[in-house]
Amino acid sequence: MSFRARMMIPLLVVFVAAIGYPLISSFVLSLTNYRITRRDETKFVAFAQYQDVLQDHAYWSALAVTGTFIVFAVVLELSIGLMIALALQNQRRFRDFSRSFLLSPMFVTPIAVGLMFRFLLNQQLGAIPAILEKVGITYDFFGPGRAIYSMVVIDVWQWTPFMVLLLLAGLESLSKQPFEAAKVDGASPFYTFRRVTVPMLAPILTVAVLIRSLDASKVFEYVYAITRGGPGTETQTIQYFTYQTGIQFFRLGKASAMSYLLLIMVISLVILLFKRIEKARLVS
Amino acid sequence: MRKIGARKLVTAMIAVGILVLASACSSSSPNASTAGNTEISADTAGTVRVLMEGVPDTDIVKGLLAEFNAKYPKIDVQIEPIAYDQIRDKIVASFQATDPTYDMAIIDNPWMGDFAKAGFLKPLDDLIASTANYDYNDFSAPLRAIGEVDGKTYGVPFYNYGLGLIYRTDLLSAAGIAEPTTLDALAAAAKSLNSAARAGIAMQPQRGYKAFEEWGNYLFAAGGSIYGSDGLVHLNTPEAKKALNTYIAMYKSSAPKNSLNWAFDEALRSVSSDKSAMMVSYNWMLPTLNKKDGPAGALAGKFKLATMPGGKQVLGSWDWAIPANSKVSDAAWAFISWITSKEGEAARVSAGGAPARTGVLTDPAVSNTGGGAEYYATVGKILSNAEPLCKGANCDEMINAVGTELNAAIAGLKSVDSALAAAEEQANKIQSE
Amino acid sequence: MTRSKITIRKHFEPWHLAGNTLLVGAFIAVAAPFLWVFLGSFKTGTQLNNPTLILFSPNLANWTHVLETGILQAAFRSVIVGLITVSIAIIVGSMGAYSISRYKTGGSTARFGILTAQVLPPAILVFPFLDLAYRMRVNGTLVSVVAAHISLVLPVVTWFLIGFFDAAPKEVEEQALVDGLDRFAAFRKVVLPQVAPGIGASAIFGFVISWNDLFYALILSPGNSATLPVRIAGFNTFRGVELGAMCAAILVSVIPVLIASFFIQRRLVQGISGGAVKF
Repeated sequence: MSFRARMMIPLLVVFVAAIGYPLISSFVLSLTNYRITRRDETKFVAFAQYQDVLQDHAYWSALAVTGTFIVFAVVLELSIGLMIALALQNQRRFRDFSRSFLLSPMFVTPIAVGLMFRFLLNQQLGAIPAILEKVGITYDFFGPGRAIYSMVVIDVWQWTPFMVLLLLAGLESLSKQPFEAAKVDGASPFYTFRRVTVPMLAPILTVAVLIRSLDASKVFEYVYAITRGGPGTETQTIQYFTYQTGIQFFRLGKASAMSYLLLIMVISLVILLFKRIEKARLVS
Repeated sequence: MRKIGARKLVTAMIAVGILVLASACSSSSPNASTAGNTEISADTAGTVRVLMEGVPDTDIVKGLLAEFNAKYPKIDVQIEPIAYDQIRDKIVASFQATDPTYDMAIIDNPWMGDFAKAGFLKPLDDLIASTANYDYNDFSAPLRAIGEVDGKTYGVPFYNYGLGLIYRTDLLSAAGIAEPTTLDALAAAAKSLNSAARAGIAMQPQRGYKAFEEWGNYLFAAGGSIYGSDGLVHLNTPEAKKALNTYIAMYKSSAPKNSLNWAFDEALRSVSSDKSAMMVSYNWMLPTLNKKDGPAGALAGKFKLATMPGGKQVLGSWDWAIPANSKVSDAAWAFISWITSKEGEAARVSAGGAPARTGVLTDPAVSNTGGGAEYYATVGKILSNAEPLCKGANCDEMINAVGTELNAAIAGLKSVDSALAAAEEQANKIQSE
Repeated sequence: MTRSKITIRKHFEPWHLAGNTLLVGAFIAVAAPFLWVFLGSFKTGTQLNNPTLILFSPNLANWTHVLETGILQAAFRSVIVGLITVSIAIIVGSMGAYSISRYKTGGSTARFGILTAQVLPPAILVFPFLDLAYRMRVNGTLVSVVAAHISLVLPVVTWFLIGFFDAAPKEVEEQALVDGLDRFAAFRKVVLPQVAPGIGASAIFGFVISWNDLFYALILSPGNSATLPVRIAGFNTFRGVELGAMCAAILVSVIPVLIASFFIQRRLVQGISGGAVKF
């Protein structure tokens, strides 16, 4: 066997065992009407579950909620993260300390972050509304039309550090030459940022957005800890909906179909994205 | 999961398709009998593993194990305390294994229908009937009804979580208000007690289970019911509309501001820190609130428990059950019958456990140590006229669907009429599957 | 050097101020919740209901309760699970990533495939894991948790490593081959050291993913040997959230990682920038 094949084997074995087996198992499940508490009634139904899911209003609503969440969260994390990364790069004192401290929200398990903010933002028991009241502001953090954005804020609090990390690393890897050339040419900071920094950072920006978006699509703990999908279904994200359907309501066949549909949609999006980037790269 | 080879259940129950049960009002179980004649042998042996939730009632049970082992020295009961969500998933996995991980289980009432119909649980009627001095009818009737599925008993009540109205006696008397006996009186009381510094009533409208659990009490107070005589869910009724409109009005005028996602914890903390005057909550919160050096601090002793206006309230419970694939049913039953016997119950309730039998409530020995005679009298009233949110199949899903619609109406996202209509439609669809 | 520093400073003074203001703001935003958690861990039940209580005499009851109920053991288990997961992911991932990067094995399908394994919700994959654990009779152990964490960590780690290998110049290993080393030795002795910072960075990311996971651990770990996030989630009981204890538990989970990251973050940044992750 060739060297390259032999190098791949361990990865393939572990991949198949740890990822392939559950993937296939769930796919088979999605072709049945399997319910944990009705195993005796299990039968093969081909793609009936998929049809069911596609016609389920709640599924599309959950996708919309998740999509909104991802867009707002990632855009905010990218912008704030980039600004912080730039500031950190130019920082002269206490670099190690500030960097490690600012990274700390990433290291708290998300359910704890959710519970933390549930109480911090509580009107009667929380510090933040208490402070806001002192300046005369009353804000319903988890009320209709607002809850999903409060979730975005919590996500931003926890995951901007991740963006900061990636972007800082990217910034520090850029070669100094183009910047020095721009300075010699008398370019303003804005110009340098727009025409030199951003284009050079483009690959890492793409990676950061991609990974963070995939991660954000799995948001679950914040919803579980604070709103349980409410008000109405305004914070019912796709992961929460799937969890409820498959595990709380025992409808594992249907939940598997939901996940596979999501997988197909995301793969298509990712492929489209990759193709566009390839095209852009070829052009430049 | 795809058909898993040759796995046989010890007892096979064939799912009977569409099942709708008549609403569970008091009905004496025809299978129970006070006159059993079998004493369980003190020689019964076995290791009984059980998952229990990490709450005070579990600690109390653990504390009684020594006494249990004095009578049954050969039975080793191993209690694994665990979080609520882990319980369901782990016991379901154990039920389906050929080699079970757990030999005894506590079952939350929404799961009872599904687990019984799936054949996960062993029918207990014969055991109950044959056990000496068991007196199964001593258990509160609504609680007994929870354990009954399709005419057989699958669970024996462990502890109840019935709700009631908990209010501040000092505030109510200072405002010159009597304990509310109608829904409108409750709304009026909440409104008068409402001030900038303190909300009239702490409410728990969180989407899903909590919203339905709390609102169900309002529905009963308005004279309504969840199920009709045809066994179907009927929520599109004038009583339900009145109950929901009153609930929403109270939420807007007398509940803490911005509390749409509040659940049990927030309401409890609000009431115990003098930021709300009342709440509808589990009856056993009363002793906790009135405990000196308890969570209510200086307010201890100022709380009273009352039935909901109208006298009927929502009930929940945990039941003891024996998995169908348990290999030590005798030992498991020895424990269950011991802990739920009159003596076991008296010991458990004296230590602060929530009662399931009616006899202990009037036993002076118990009520003097527990929460007081007045409290137990009220608990007795609560348990005599209470109903769970759901009976039959797919209860978790049904409760969630209704709770979602309710929460949407409370949030102003839907009209009361359309929310109730949708709730009824979805509930019946879910329960018919 | 000094001259350009002065020039820079003159040029960017207002930006510097803006930058520092932003950092202070970020610092406050991060610190405030932690401060609340820190204070909360010393508060009694009633004190916790008072949002603005800052000065009070601290109570150690939460800390003793948390430490007595095995939070350190849970943390230890999380560490072990994390280390095993990451070790397997790095070893297996680096070999595969090398093959994919250098030899274009599997083409773009391989690259996509690895990434999209990230997308599937744990809610779906958990039951096959549970089922398999029962059948292989390891359901009383943390083995299935490790397997599930590998499914979370392996794709990300492999993906990062592909990027690092892509960025590493080929000349060094070609030189090693010319010098007579066989390919695996070249991989081990020459290529790996080159991407060592990148491996370090990926390992840390992978560890954090495993450290934070609640979902798989909740369903797959045995009740009496829970991992840290499960233990923390356990404070959210049917009878209310044990807030004070949970605050203490959060600090127990964050402080060690914080201290470790103080020493590691420099490597972390170096590592990622060294790879200049592209694709």
